[in-house]
Amino acid sequence: MAKTVAQINEKINKGTVVVVSAEDFSAMAKEKDLKELSEEVDIVTTATFGPMCSSGAIINFGHWSPGIRMEEITLNGVNAYEGLAAVDTYIGATSESKFDARYGGANVIEELIDGKDVRLHARGKGTDCYPTKEIDTYINKDTINEFYLFNPRNAYQNYAAATNSTNRIKYTYMGSLLPRFSNITYSTSGELSPLLNDPYLRTIGLGTRIFLGGTEGYVVWNGTQFNTRRERTAEGIPTLPGATLAVIGDAKQMSREYIRSAYYEKYGVSMFVGIGIPIPVLDEKMAAHLAISNEKIITNILDYGQDGHPSVATCSYSQLASGSVTLSDGKKVKTAPLSSLAKAREIAEVLASWIREKRFFLSEPVHMFPTDSFVKPLVPREGGEK
Amino acid sequence: MKKRYALLFSPTLVEQPIVSKLARSYDVDINILNADVASGRGGKLIVELSGTEQDLDASVIYLSEIGVIVSEMVKELLFNQDECIDCGACTAVCSSGALWMDAEARLQFDVSHCVVCGLCVHACPMCLFEVSHEREA
Repeated sequence: MAKTVAQINEKINKGTVVVVSAEDFSAMAKEKDLKELSEEVDIVTTATFGPMCSSGAIINFGHWSPGIRMEEITLNGVNAYEGLAAVDTYIGATSESKFDARYGGANVIEELIDGKDVRLHARGKGTDCYPTKEIDTYINKDTINEFYLFNPRNAYQNYAAATNSTNRIKYTYMGSLLPRFSNITYSTSGELSPLLNDPYLRTIGLGTRIFLGGTEGYVVWNGTQFNTRRERTAEGIPTLPGATLAVIGDAKQMSREYIRSAYYEKYGVSMFVGIGIPIPVLDEKMAAHLAISNEKIITNILDYGQDGHPSVATCSYSQLASGSVTLSDGKKVKTAPLSSLAKAREIAEVLASWIREKRFFLSEPVHMFPTDSFVKPLVPREGGEK
Repeated sequence: MKKRYALLFSPTLVEQPIVSKLARSYDVDINILNADVASGRGGKLIVELSGTEQDLDASVIYLSEIGVIVSEMVKELLFNQDECIDCGACTAVCSSGALWMDAEARLQFDVSHCVVCGLCVHACPMCLFEVSHEREA
């Protein structure tokens, strides 16, 4: 019998809810009938902890006296956006310091979350209502007003694996890729990954309550580069990067256990974001999606040595997780993960415990994301319409 | 085998032809990597000795007996494991078998396999690896 989100929330309230992680659910599905499982289990927790470059934070600094309409804003030397009224800003995770290429917005966000002081410098033109022309001071999460993460593109559905055909090492956001196909890196939590467990986003939409960075957060839009037109396997999983999510959450409540700055050699700064999404087992069809296991998740291995990153092979996540993949020419290539499966498991467990302790209830989306969306390239054009 | 040593000389020892004595009597090849020696004020040599293990040991005993202060130079990989998030990026470049993901998806580090190639230093997104500057053991 099909369940509703309201019924599942009622079970949380009564303390009778059954929550398992997506890995456990996949293992259970190998032993048990899906119909039976869909009745027995109410919620499956999914999670990921990987580098997600399209992340950042909104900050309101509070007003200076006399006022300043802030321009050229820097936080510990990292540029933050100046085009949001007088004392609001957005600091992007990959924005880099002018003084240290290894330090960027992600580090500023991590330090603020961790309660540290951060140096704020800004200039202003000096207007009648905002006369101050320059400030140089320190802030921390207790001195500022709002401080929340707003990440435009997180939780990629099936990010492609990477390798390198050239004769020299490539330093990329997919890690250090050794020459002549000597390693393959991949960034996913596989069968535990949120959007691989709900491939058509049937239960995830605007307003879905999630685990974000150690606290409660929300899905607020489809992520950028949202792509529903990828080829899909029989189970409905796209074989190349598909859907993405925009998420939001109160950074003051987050912890550096689940938000960490990262630096990729010769690429730059990024940020590890911990996301957990609870998926209601509404019916047998949902159970079938949630039963997905690593052998059935197929991805492409892209060559980062060539323009446009052409695909050189496809393989399953169980192959990637095994430590090596054999390419078509017979070469056995070492594989390595980039996202932390151990942390993702921890997040799935923490989220499950919040639900069992009645601290976290499911929310029903108020708006679903596009069912037909693809990613356009940026094409050079001459002129513009008058 | 090859080993690197820092040799500290007193002012009187500087006057003695120690390096040629080593080469002739102990059958070791000596590569002087750095020298800061001056007549009348002692000095320091950084040398790489190559020879059999026995010859190297005998050379060290000889040097110590005549009053040279001998310290072996070691280069090692330092890993701040407490801050590790178990992402696994370092395992992509480690071919020595010193870094690997275990069955629980946790990073394992066995320093005895490490050849100090330094590739993990650049591969770690948390910047947790460091090759120590050569130091006197």
